[in-house]
Amino acid sequence: MAENLSADFVVIGSGICGALAAYKLARAGASVIMLEAGPRVTRAQLLANFRNSPRRSDWMSPYPFSPWAPHPVYKPKDNGYLVQAGPYPYPAEYIRVVGGTTWHWAAHTWRYLPNDMRMQSLYGVGVDWPCTYDELDPFYQEAEEIMGVAGSAEEHPESPRSKPFPLEPVAEPWAMRRLRERLQPEYPVVGNTVARNSRTFGGRPACCGSNNCQPICPVDAQYHGGLAVDAAEAAGVRLIPNAVVYRLEHDERDRIVAAHYFDPDKQSYRVTGKTFIVAANGIESPKLLLLSTSERFPNGIANSRDMVGRHLMDHPSTSLTFDADEEVWLGRGPQSPSSINTLRDGPFRAEFSAYRLDFTNISRVDSTTQRLLLDGVYGPEFEKRLRYSAAREMNVKTVLEVLPRPENRITLSDRKDALGIPQPQVHYAIDAYTRGGAQDAKKHFTRIAELMGGTNLRFTPDDAFANNQHICGTLSMGNDPNTSVCDRYGRAHDHENLFFIGTGVLPTAGTCNSTLAAVAVGFWTVAHILEEQAGVPSGKRAATGAGAGT
Amino acid sequence: MGWIQAVKRFVGGLMVLGLAWGGAGVVGAAPADPELIQRGEYLARVGDCVACHTAPGGPVFAGGLELPTPVGNIVATNITPSKTAGIGNYTLEQFDAAVRRGIRADGKPLYPAMPYPSYAKVTDEDIEAMYAYFMNAVEPVETRPPQTKLPFPFNIRYSMKLWNALFLDETPFQPDPSQGEEWNRGAYLVQGLTHCSTCHSPRNFLMAEDSSRDLAGGEVGPWHAPNITSDPVSGVGSWSLEEIVAYMKQGSIPKSQAAGPMAEAIDHSFQYMTDADLRAMAVYLKSVPPIAEDGVKKPVDSWGRAHADFASVRGKPWPENPDELNGPQLFDAYCAACHQASGQGTFDRQMPALYQNTATGRLQTNNLVMVILEGIHRVSQGYEVRMPGFAHELSDQQIATLSNYLMQAYGNPDGQTSAEQVANLRQGGPVSSSNLILLARAGMVVGLLVVLALVVWLVRRRRS
Repeated sequence: MAENLSADFVVIGSGICGALAAYKLARAGASVIMLEAGPRVTRAQLLANFRNSPRRSDWMSPYPFSPWAPHPVYKPKDNGYLVQAGPYPYPAEYIRVVGGTTWHWAAHTWRYLPNDMRMQSLYGVGVDWPCTYDELDPFYQEAEEIMGVAGSAEEHPESPRSKPFPLEPVAEPWAMRRLRERLQPEYPVVGNTVARNSRTFGGRPACCGSNNCQPICPVDAQYHGGLAVDAAEAAGVRLIPNAVVYRLEHDERDRIVAAHYFDPDKQSYRVTGKTFIVAANGIESPKLLLLSTSERFPNGIANSRDMVGRHLMDHPSTSLTFDADEEVWLGRGPQSPSSINTLRDGPFRAEFSAYRLDFTNISRVDSTTQRLLLDGVYGPEFEKRLRYSAAREMNVKTVLEVLPRPENRITLSDRKDALGIPQPQVHYAIDAYTRGGAQDAKKHFTRIAELMGGTNLRFTPDDAFANNQHICGTLSMGNDPNTSVCDRYGRAHDHENLFFIGTGVLPTAGTCNSTLAAVAVGFWTVAHILEEQAGVPSGKRAATGAGAGT
Repeated sequence: MGWIQAVKRFVGGLMVLGLAWGGAGVVGAAPADPELIQRGEYLARVGDCVACHTAPGGPVFAGGLELPTPVGNIVATNITPSKTAGIGNYTLEQFDAAVRRGIRADGKPLYPAMPYPSYAKVTDEDIEAMYAYFMNAVEPVETRPPQTKLPFPFNIRYSMKLWNALFLDETPFQPDPSQGEEWNRGAYLVQGLTHCSTCHSPRNFLMAEDSSRDLAGGEVGPWHAPNITSDPVSGVGSWSLEEIVAYMKQGSIPKSQAAGPMAEAIDHSFQYMTDADLRAMAVYLKSVPPIAEDGVKKPVDSWGRAHADFASVRGKPWPENPDELNGPQLFDAYCAACHQASGQGTFDRQMPALYQNTATGRLQTNNLVMVILEGIHRVSQGYEVRMPGFAHELSDQQIATLSNYLMQAYGNPDGQTSAEQVANLRQGGPVSSSNLILLARAGMVVGLLVVLALVVWLVRRRRS
């Protein structure tokens, strides 16, 4: 290959975290190559795929599956890509395309609570973060301003902020308003903080309530990784799609010198750079490190102490479905607009999991139709029952915390994908701490249903936890190299020019979606890299080392 | 915007300084009373001075906006009362000469990008009020925008004298006693300050408005300014007074939405006008002699119906080549989410229907293409209109396919769009008519040759 595959920075992964980091680096004047395993997609194509899909209730069906860059698929049947080692199933979902998984999300952009980052010192469980909430505040703000986060500071005192939300809250759907009115003062129901336009922002229109956030917003009212990639490319980042990185190469001083990737035909390429950033998702990033073995690192890059892939966390959910005593008609407005945030912290966290209570606003028409058809209901009775459920059915779910445990982990399986690359394997359990939170939530479920005049209460079974695809912890940052993979700035303990950006670096899961925290910590990492390299002439950087500062 | 603030700041400043209204430092200025200034501010808005004399994001009235013309960019000047960079030294007479006759303080002519052929209709009283406003209530800005540099021969400003002699009618507006007060007020505004004809009248080969086809439609860069004569088919003859007023006030009625330069005119100017003035304009417009366009079969807002073609594309994979996407596929992916499955728009009219809409009813499809390319972004009093543009997502061929489909499905099927047309509009419109430059240069060469020939003939005659 004649072309020069070399840059100041090589970013692996073009999801929202990698692309925004690449964007920032390019804006600072650096040359950046961004490698993405999956293909380019366009919103219009995804939307057309969705509208043309015969299986519209499967929200993964509009997304292209690439044999060279496989991701987990569970419908119509499990493709077995993510190998389950038990004891509890962990059916994580993510998408390997340019822009990554935020093409497909509810756009929740929460800040952690300050106490989420001090779990060990406050409650004697989990770990403390190697940085503080206050240190991250300006980076949270920057992320929120780029993504156009809408919210009300008044409604969210739990995550203090020094500057206002960039956008006013998105209009409250009727069903959420009724919840708020009928649950107060016992439970304050508040609008979620979301990267969803409440007015024109970034050249994109305000949410018009299509109730189609997932699988794809039809009007582009939500921020997503595709937009981050557009910004990165406009800033000069060179994106190479369909580039499946399978090995990182280091030199005798343990510095990373190259990333090797396959194209879909398994041609191999070598990309060199001065600094490497792995931002390839909470499962694919540790997989890549584990694949990159050498004599000096027989267990993989950044893994001299066997910490890579451990401390896997997510947010399991239990839920209650009930029929309200009034017609609320879920399905108007965004899919996930409101929640209760008062159970996210407290002394009880020493004993059991905190949780957020989240109300769905997804139209019940599709799910009810499927249920009634399975039950063999048809004719006028079908119409009557569909109308009843579509108007009255409501659902509240927990978003439970999982503690970082070394035995919950990503490893390599014996199975190989189409390019011969080992598939990831997951070991996962839901412990008594998390189950305790689920038990505690039941009384609130019941009370909420009562306040809504609920009947026909359907609790999920005690051992049935849904997953929320907030994959974190597998590349944890920490001060102690014996219990973490990278330092407080995301730098690999073992390699001075290797950084991690993404949800994997988050040391605790808290009770909120992980994307905003990952983007903010990524900006903190980028700011640190730029500060360290400032003043070092570009030619000398390689010689003196990007990590000369610490 | 900053006018009100500027007035307040100015009034506040005067009070602090304890100065009287008269003699506030402007040589030769008549004592300006607040009412006069306020009227001047209103008139400056009606005249939409800000549209050209403010650069995007720049200080108000400080100039710097580049106005593309067929002969090159004309840079709008600083019209704040700065004595060094603006018009701070202008006397009322000099201000008047610039606004109504296109002559700057140094005696040189302005280019008619400044709509002085329209402003010539303004009354003495209104000129005085605008002068009082600009001199007393506009914040001086001390920066001078770059000078206009046009190619030869247009860099010779005196060439404009000839143009003025040919095309400038200096008589101020004369009321027509046979018409009522409202009609006369409307005529005064339309012919004068609102300078509708600047865009809406066709121009002759020397860029002067063709008065025989007043308001029959013109071209503004890539945009088409439609026929607004009283013709019921080609113009606005079938519009009610209320519809015309609402359109000018809000930029959006069910059958027509403002975009491009008209949207700017509404945002900067019309939305601030009184209902009485807008109504007067509507009354006058409905009396403008009708001019019918060739080939227009029925009113532009009367075409099409609710209609969906998705059955033909459901379940079919997209073609490998995105330029081969068909109309329904493009409509499905890019339009239907907002304009709805049958093009019917939303129930609250926030997103308009695509049929029985002027957007899809014209033979001339430039505006439809421009809206697809650039979208619409308007901020009216209290609310915002945003249609995203698709220039970065759709190719010329895709836009041509989509535009033709929209006209076929929802509008006037005779209105055709080609990929070449889209490419041209994407670049900013009809390839700048350098013809005009050539023509002018050729004209001068011919003139020179004639003079030379005369000299030669004279010399020979003497010798013989």
